[in-house]
Formats: sequence, C-alpha cells, structure tokens
Amino acid sequence: MKTHRSIFGKLLQEFRLVASDRRSWRILLFGSLNLLCTGCLLMWCSSTNSMALTAYTYLTIFDLFSLITCLISSWVTMKKPSQVYSFGFERLEVLAVFASTVLVQLGALFILKESVERFMEQPEVHTGRLLVGTFVALFFNLLTLLSVRNKPFAYVSEAASSSWLQEHVADLSRSLCGIIPGLSSVLLPRMNPFVLINMAGALSLCITYMLIEINNYNAVDTASAVAIALMTFGTMYPMSVYSGKVLLQTTPSHIIGQLDKLLREVSTLDGVLEVRNEHFWTVGFGSLAGSAHVRIRRDANEQLVLAHVTNRLLPLVSTLTVQIFKDDWTRPLLTGTLSSSSSPSAPPLGSAEGYATVSSSSLPPLLLSSGGELDPLTSTPSKPSSPPPEFSFDTPGRNVQPMVLPAPGHHTHRPYGGLGLTYGASPYTGMLNQGLARPSGGLGLGMQGLGAGKHFTLSHI
Amino acid sequence: MDEKYSSNVLSGGKLGMVEVPNSRLTRYIVLLVVSKVLKALGIFESYDILKVVHIVQFIFILKLGSAVILLFFQKPFSSGKVISKRQWIKLVKHAVFSCVISLLGFFGLTLCGPLRTLLLFEHSDVVVIALLGVLFTSSGGGPSKAAAFFIIAVICLLLFDNDDLMAKMAEHPRSLISSTPAISFLGVADHKGGVVLLVASLCLKVGFHTASRKLSVEIGGAKRLYALDNLVSAMVLLPWVIVLSATTESKVESWSSLILPFGMIIFSVMILEFYVEAICNAKMETPRCARYGTIALFLSALLLANFWTHPLTDQLRSMSKPPQQVSTEHVLSGGVLVSAIFFIMSSSILSSPSKKGQKGTLVGYSPEGTPLYNFMGDALQHTSQSLPRFIKDSLKQILEEYDSRQIFYFLCLNLAFTFVELFYGVWTNSLGLISDGFHMLFDCSALVLGLFAALMTRWKATRIFSYGYGRVEILSGFINGLFLMVIAFFVFVESVTRLLDPPNINTDMLTPVSVGGLLVNLVGICAFSHAHSHGGKSCSSHDHGHSHHGHSHSEHGHGGHGHSHGGHGHGGHGHGGHGHSHGSAGGGMNANMRGVFLHVLADTLGSVGVIISTILIRQFGWLIADPICSLFIATLIFLSVIPLLKDACEVLLLRTPPEHEKDLNSALEKIEKIEGVLSYRDPHFWRHSANMIAGTIHLQIMSDVVEQRIIQQVTAILKDAGVNNLSVQVEKEAYFQHMSGLSTGFHEVLAMTQQMESMKYLKDGTCIM
Repeated sequence: MKTHRSIFGKLLQEFRLVASDRRSWRILLFGSLNLLCTGCLLMWCSSTNSMALTAYTYLTIFDLFSLITCLISSWVTMKKPSQVYSFGFERLEVLAVFASTVLVQLGALFILKESVERFMEQPEVHTGRLLVGTFVALFFNLLTLLSVRNKPFAYVSEAASSSWLQEHVADLSRSLCGIIPGLSSVLLPRMNPFVLINMAGALSLCITYMLIEINNYNAVDTASAVAIALMTFGTMYPMSVYSGKVLLQTTPSHIIGQLDKLLREVSTLDGVLEVRNEHFWTVGFGSLAGSAHVRIRRDANEQLVLAHVTNRLLPLVSTLTVQIFKDDWTRPLLTGTLSSSSSPSAPPLGSAEGYATVSSSSLPPLLLSSGGELDPLTSTPSKPSSPPPEFSFDTPGRNVQPMVLPAPGHHTHRPYGGLGLTYGASPYTGMLNQGLARPSGGLGLGMQGLGAGKHFTLSHI
Repeated sequence: MDEKYSSNVLSGGKLGMVEVPNSRLTRYIVLLVVSKVLKALGIFESYDILKVVHIVQFIFILKLGSAVILLFFQKPFSSGKVISKRQWIKLVKHAVFSCVISLLGFFGLTLCGPLRTLLLFEHSDVVVIALLGVLFTSSGGGPSKAAAFFIIAVICLLLFDNDDLMAKMAEHPRSLISSTPAISFLGVADHKGGVVLLVASLCLKVGFHTASRKLSVEIGGAKRLYALDNLVSAMVLLPWVIVLSATTESKVESWSSLILPFGMIIFSVMILEFYVEAICNAKMETPRCARYGTIALFLSALLLANFWTHPLTDQLRSMSKPPQQVSTEHVLSGGVLVSAIFFIMSSSILSSPSKKGQKGTLVGYSPEGTPLYNFMGDALQHTSQSLPRFIKDSLKQILEEYDSRQIFYFLCLNLAFTFVELFYGVWTNSLGLISDGFHMLFDCSALVLGLFAALMTRWKATRIFSYGYGRVEILSGFINGLFLMVIAFFVFVESVTRLLDPPNINTDMLTPVSVGGLLVNLVGICAFSHAHSHGGKSCSSHDHGHSHHGHSHSEHGHGGHGHSHGGHGHGGHGHGGHGHSHGSAGGGMNANMRGVFLHVLADTLGSVGVIISTILIRQFGWLIADPICSLFIATLIFLSVIPLLKDACEVLLLRTPPEHEKDLNSALEKIEKIEGVLSYRDPHFWRHSANMIAGTIHLQIMSDVVEQRIIQQVTAILKDAGVNNLSVQVEKEAYFQHMSGLSTGFHEVLAMTQQMESMKYLKDGTCIM
C-alpha cells in the first residue's frame, strides 16, 4: 500500500512538473475536452448500435493517446538522464508513440473481429445520433490535430514511409492540385495522415448514414466499420514500424548511406586496418548513438587515430564510443619508434600479474601471436588467415605524422581526476549541433527531404 | 462480314510485327469495334436463350459448335506437331477450368442480365492485371484513381442499382437455374450475388488466361489451343449433358428455331471475337486494343440494353418470347449508367500505355543533378522460392527450438479446436458457436505474433539490425502485453454495461461448447509453464502443481464477450505464484514467452469464470454474477500484465538491467581502482535482448599506460558483471589535445560564434591536464 502511494506521489510530482509549463496547459485542456467528447461518443455508440461509429470513436481515443504522448515529450525535455536510465528519457517518447499506434491497431483488430460476428447477424442501426456523432468527432479531432503542436507524432508521420491510404490519395490530390494550385501546400507531397484518416472515416460514415436512411442497408454499417478499421491499420502501421525499429535499436535506413561514407573515410585514415562491430542506432527521434571497434596497425598512435575517428563520426553520431584495438600489442615493436605513444614504464608481463587475479578467464591470449585470436569480445570472427598487420601493410612515408606529434610527457603526472572529466558531454553535444549542418551539407540537408518525399519521386519514375 | 474476317485471318498470319502508322490501324480498330458490338449482341441474345435452355446444354452447344468451325479453319490435327499424352492431360485440365469459368460467367449472366455481365466480366486481361497491381502491390503512385473508379463502379452496381424489377421477377418461377444455396446463403438479392460472382470469376478468368499461356506455347499457338480446348471441353461436358437431358424434360419447343440464334452466338461470341482480338493484338499494342475494345463493348451494351426491349427490336429478333417477361427485367437504372461510365473511365485509364515504365529505386544523383535510378533491384529480390518449400523451411525452423515448437503445437491445437467449433457452429447453425470461434481466432493472433517473434529472434544480424534480432522478442512481449490490456479494457467496459443492465443469458449452450476448450487451454498452460520454468529457473513445482490441479471446466462462453474471459480464485492464485517466480528469476526471462503464457492464462481464467457464472446463474438465478465475474477477471488480467509491461518498458527504454545493477556498480568501482585509470565517464549499460547485455564506457587513463591492457582488464571485469557486448573508449590526455586541435582546425568559423565559450572550456580542460 505504501509503495503504491509513493508511486502515485511520484506521478503527481512529475505531473506538477509538467503542469508548471504554460504550454502544457493547452494540452491538458484539449485532453479534458477529448475525454468529454469520447465519453459522449461512446454513449452514442451504444445508443446507435453502430459499429462504424465505434471504430471512428477509437480514432478520438487515439487523439487522447497522442495528447498524452505530447505531454510525455514535454516531460522528457525537462528530465536529465539518471543513473539507471543513462541515455535519458528520450526513448519514452518513442515508446509512447509506439504504444499508442499499436493500441489503436489492436482496437481496429477488435473492431474487425466484432464486424465478422456482425456479418452473421446484422442488428439494426439507429441513425439518429450517427451523423451528429460523426461531425462532433470530426470537429474535435481536427481541432486537436490542428491546434496542438504534437512534436513526436509530427516527426514520425514525416519520417515514416507513407501509408497505403496516403499513396492512394496522393494520386488524386495531385490531379486536384493541377486544377486548383492553391491546395498544393496542404495536399502535397502527402497529406497529414491523421487528417486524412479522420476525413476518410467521416466520409464513410456519411455514406453509411445515407445508405441506411435511403435503402435501409444495415450491413453497410458493418462494412464501413471494416473499412475504417482497415484504414486505421494502413495509417498506423508505417508509424509503428518506424518507432518499433527505433526501439529495436536498428540503424535507420536513411542514415546508412551517410554512415557508410563516413566509415569508408575512417577506414582510409592512416593506421586504421578495419572497422568492425559497428552498431549505430537512434536513442530518441533523431539523435544517433553508436559504438565501433577500430583495429589499427601496431605502430600507429592510438590516441591520434581515436581523435581522428571520433572527429569524423561525431557530427553524425552524438553518443559515440570507439574502441581502438591492436593485435598482439604485448610483443615489442620491431621498428622501435616508440617516441609517440606511451612507452610502458613497466614491462607488460610484469604488470599483467597485477590484474591476473581479476580476470583469470579471459586473458590467456596474452602471448598468442597470430592475428586470428583477437579480442575475446568481438562477435564477428576475424579472418584467421590474416598475417600480422605490420607486414601486410606496406606503409609509405606519409605516415610520419603520428611520430612527429609531440608527446606531452611533462603533463602526465598532473592528476586530472576531478576536473578533467567535466568536459565530456557538454562540449561535444554543442559541437554536434553546429557540425551537423556543415561537413556533410548536401547529404544532411537532403536527408529529411528524401525521407519525406521519396515515395513521390519514385512513383513518378 | 464473313469474307472480310477470313481475309484478315490470312493477312494477319502473314504480316509480322510491322510498325504500322496510325492511319493504317483504322481498319483494325473498326474491325475490333464491329466485333465487339456483335459480341454484345450475342451476349444479349444468349441471355434470352438461357431462359429456355439449360446452362450446361447451352455451353455444350457453344463449345461444340465453335469446335466444329475451328476444326475446319484451324485443322489442329493435320497441322503442327503431334500432341503427346502428357499434353492431352494438360489439355483436359485446361478444358475443365475453361468450362468452369464459362459456367460461372454464364451463370452470372442469368443472375444479373446481359448489361451488367458485360460491364463486369468483359474486361481485358491487361486492365484487370493493372488493377490488381494497383490494389495489392503498394508500390504506390500507380493509377490509383482508376482503381478507385473501378471500385466505385462495382459498389454502384452492388448498392445503388436497385433492380426493383428484379424482385418482381423473383416471383416468377425461374427457369431451371434457380439461385443456388451458396448465393442465397449470403442473404443478398440475386443480382447482387451475381455481381459478386462475376467479379470473382473475372479474377479467375484472368488468372486462367495467364496460366494457360505456357500451355499454348507447348501446344503450338493460342489458336490451336483454343480449337482443341473447345473440342475437349465439349467432350467433358458431354456426359453431363446426356445425364441432364435424360433426367429433366426440356422446355424448348423446337430446337430448329434456335439454330439461327445459336449460330449467331457461336459466331459472334466465340469465334469472331477471338480471331479479331488475336489480329488486333498482333497489329496494335495490347493496351490500346483493350481500350478501344472495352469502350466499344460497353457503349454498345448500353445502347442495346436501352433498345433490346423496344418493340421495334422485338420484331427483328429471331426468337419469339412470351411477352410478359420481356419488359420487366434488368432494365437500365441510374446506378448502372453511373457505374458504366466509371467502368469506361477506369478501364481507359488502366489500359492507357504507362509512360512511367518500371519503378526504380533512387540510387543517387548524377553530376549534372539528374536523379539516377536502379531498376533491377525489385525484380531480383522478388524471385521467391516456391510456396511448399518455404512452408517446409519455416516449419523446420520452428521445430528446431523449444520455445517456438511449444507455441506452434499449441497454436495448432487451438486452431484445430477453433475450426471444429466453427464447423460445428455452421453445421448446427448456432451463432453463438460461430462467434466464439471467431473470438478464438482473435486470440490466436497473439499466438501467431509470439511464434513469429520466436522465429525472428534467430535470424542473423544484418546491417540494419546490427545487434541481431533478439530484441524482437521483447517488443513482441510488449505488444502482447498491450493486447491483454486492450482485452481487459473491453471486458471491463462490457461488464460495466452489463452490470447496469444484466441481460438474460442462455446457459444451455455454454457447457457443450466448453468441454474441449478448457482442456485445450490447460494443455497450453502445462506446456508453457514447463517452457517457462525452463527459462525462469525457479518455481517449476508450483506451476506444475497448479496445472495438475486440473479442472474440468470450460472455455469461452458465447453469451457475450463480456464473460469470455472469466476468472476464478484458483487461477488467480496460480498466477500470483507465477508472477512471483518471475520477480525472482528475472535473468533468464523471455518476454515473448511470458506474453504468450499470460495470454493463455487469461483465456483459461475466462473459461473458469464462465463456468462459475454459469453455475451461479443456474443454481441461484443470479444474473449479476456474470458481469461481476468478468469485472473480477478484467482486473486480474490487468494486474498480471503490469509486471510484464513494466519489464518490457524498462528494457525498451535502455534501463540498466536491475538484476545486474549491483554487480555493475561494484565493477565500476573496481575499474576506478585499476592502476593507471584516472576516471570514467558515460557508462551506459543496457539489456539488448534476453541474452545480451551491451555496454559502452569511456575511460581516462594516465599517459604512460598501455591502452590495450586497460581495455582487456576492463573488459574482463565487466564481463564478470554480465556485460557481453562492450565497447571501451580509452582516452589519454593526448586525445583531448588532438581533439581540440582538430576541432579548432575545423571550426575556424564557428569559433566566432557562441560556440566559443564551450571551446574555451575544452581548452581549459586540456590545460589543467
């Protein structure tokens, strides 16, 4: 009981936090209006006994979800990453979008099931409140959609591939825009999917009303319920796929080209042998996180390569971890040019004793010589046949750069424990925001447009 | 006409594919139009004949007549290669199919009348294939306008064309062909059934034509195939016709008066149209041919429909008929007119030559800035393996692993039960049973989802799913959790409405329905709790005991959905234990299996609830017991889902896995104590899938330490703490110097802006080091 109260207390606290922002008042206002409207509609649904109106009401309920998502997204912006949620709460937004789209699809599935049962035995539908309910719902939905700026859903509906319904309407709207060019700002390149489905649902309800009034075809009600449910599926499916892919930690497909280019650049950096185990995924909507293992030549300067790799990738990937790794680093270098990097004060084997107790299991490869036995962590098996890197790579004279760089040896003894850490996160993110637009200007800019409009360009080919 | 036609056959055979200027095509277009008009005439005529002649006899005569004529023209036996036995078998199959399709077509004709049949059935293959392409491949952008027109036209025919006269007709005793039970079962008027039938058989016809292309090559030309096909189908129909004429007495007064109309129909519908179409397809492009042909056909059909019943044409017609039938059936109505216009528009759009060509994928931009497309990708990807093989492969995959095997078996059991229920419901005409069957199907969708997720989990990692597909399982668990929430919500709402107004429930049907149902679910619980304890290490005895406690109760009732998920103290108890086991076991959990298990459990609870409420209602007449029971169940389902949802949410939100939190903290402390390590930052640890915990960490170390050694040590420490996919970034002071150097080099311009401040901060940081 006590834990419950504390949960509610926490919720209340968070709610106050959100409510302290004036912008969220409007959302709350619309939310309460929506609740009222939904209640009314549900009552009318049971009084008209109409399945189609019920299906349409679920769209209103979906609007309620989207308002909640909006609240969550404004809460997310206020929250800092905590210790357990180390990536922050941005993903909550994605989860909320996913959950609401899936919930409304499940609702549509339920409608489908009920409709199948109704096809067996069609009850009579009273048309009294049908049209009223339709217009009330349409009005409220459009009002909510147009007056509340719903960031997460706007983003998803832009970024997700266009739905089946949108594509079919796009053709019509293109020819309509040929007649009335003024409409093109609204209709092209594709209509807002939520507005579209609300309109389409209202239209099918109107047709239902007409048919029932004129011809007394009660079965039309069930048919239009099925139609609305299918349209709901069509509209919501791309969005849930998009947000589901974010939740599954996948590489967004529109980034891949850009990412490949960067990785190719990275692999041509001096000293880099290969990049592997690259994992890139989106944290919230938009911000990329990732990690990669970079194998380098034995004589390369780790810190320099790391800096270069990070510098290349950081504009695109904001939360980046690069693990540098060398094959048999325990063997002394043949060239003996150790000027640049940390010349080990103690011989490697001597210090190995210190940690042998900690990691007894995973450190046998200390003295293994071949390149086949690499990092025990890497999941991708490396080619066992690859010879030791320093022989395989004939490095011309241009790799003098790492050697030349000064080794700031006199700094090393300064403790930089507390202070040195602070410049981790904030400057990077600052740089990111600036950097995103610049180094890959054409690509970065083209990306959004491509994501949104690709279906239309394709369809005209 | 006859002469013209035969001369064209000859010239058509001799001329190859020659680029003909547009003006020279006129004669072919005229020919096409004339043949289409004649065809329309023939269809109208055959509608009249079908009133007196049985449909099978009619088709037999058509096929036989055209076979005789075609044999004369085409000489399929004397010319061309010898047909092997195997090809004969194929021919017979082909003929059977073509018989079925013409039976369906002409049966539709008797139902809907000639005009509607022409509108629906006589679309060219090109048009229909284009239409299906637009509708079912969401490749997008196609002429969806045309598809919309087509659908509107069909709907117009279905709904707005109130063939009221048809109703009057129905009172007349129809000819031999009374409406079959299949169509009257649907409860729609005759002509609507006909519309549906015709649309279905149109699709069938197009599929048949596409499939028969290969055979026509084998046999040696479409014409030879057509001739042989007519002959063989006449043979196929022969026994049926003999039986029919022996058993039923014919309504035909004199066959001799029918010879002329039959000849006309055979000539116009079967032969002329076929040859003209063949010629025109050779001379012009197919879509163009289809466009002109369809327009001509539809327009002439409209005209004929208007004038067919006119007294003037009455005199011209060769058949005399009882006058009262003539003017009353299948007249023009507004709906038909509108739909005809829509049909014409849609087919003209669909058959217009598409300038767009293939669809390609955008590859990039050329140096001049024009977009470059890749056209072959789709075509290559869609070469799928054959269906049986695909099924076999996926079955093998399913049966490989324990989880998916379990789900699969249970799904089969559930589906079998559902279909038995459905069939029994249809047999006994019990709506309750049928609706319960659909309810079960609805529940099965959760199982299907779980099965699919269990299958996907084992897919190999790809470029996009770089960690592998393991996380799908968690997402599927989450979706199943949401599913259960939705179910609980609906049960709740339903039971609240029932609480306010308890309906009368017929309890008689409940018991027989549910005998098998509960058993099925109990088997499921048994299987899944095993799988479960398998994964979740503990509490197997508890679950086991619970399932052996066995009951003899039942599954969903049909009184309504409200109580189809019913509950019971015992079930709830079992579940409590279960949830507890999870709280403790945690680590080896599998969200997907948990979701499926909870679903089965909810079903079982439902059936138990139904039993309880049935007993209460029967014994004490407490109608209110049912909604209260459902309310109780809804709450139980809801409460049981919350832990699953919470866990799945935590994983999806990339929370540090709670069961490893302590280990990780101590590991981090240990890392700080490693010699040479100054500090760490940005430690991220999260559970990616059931058996993968990923992590990234950045370390700052002293300049004189070997990075690789630190990496190994840290990796080992974190591996002990459970992290098995790790990236460690080791940074020395040199790194920050390089970084600041690179950044200032890069950000010369930006240094002026507000970014300046943070940069300075960074430099400060470096200086301090």
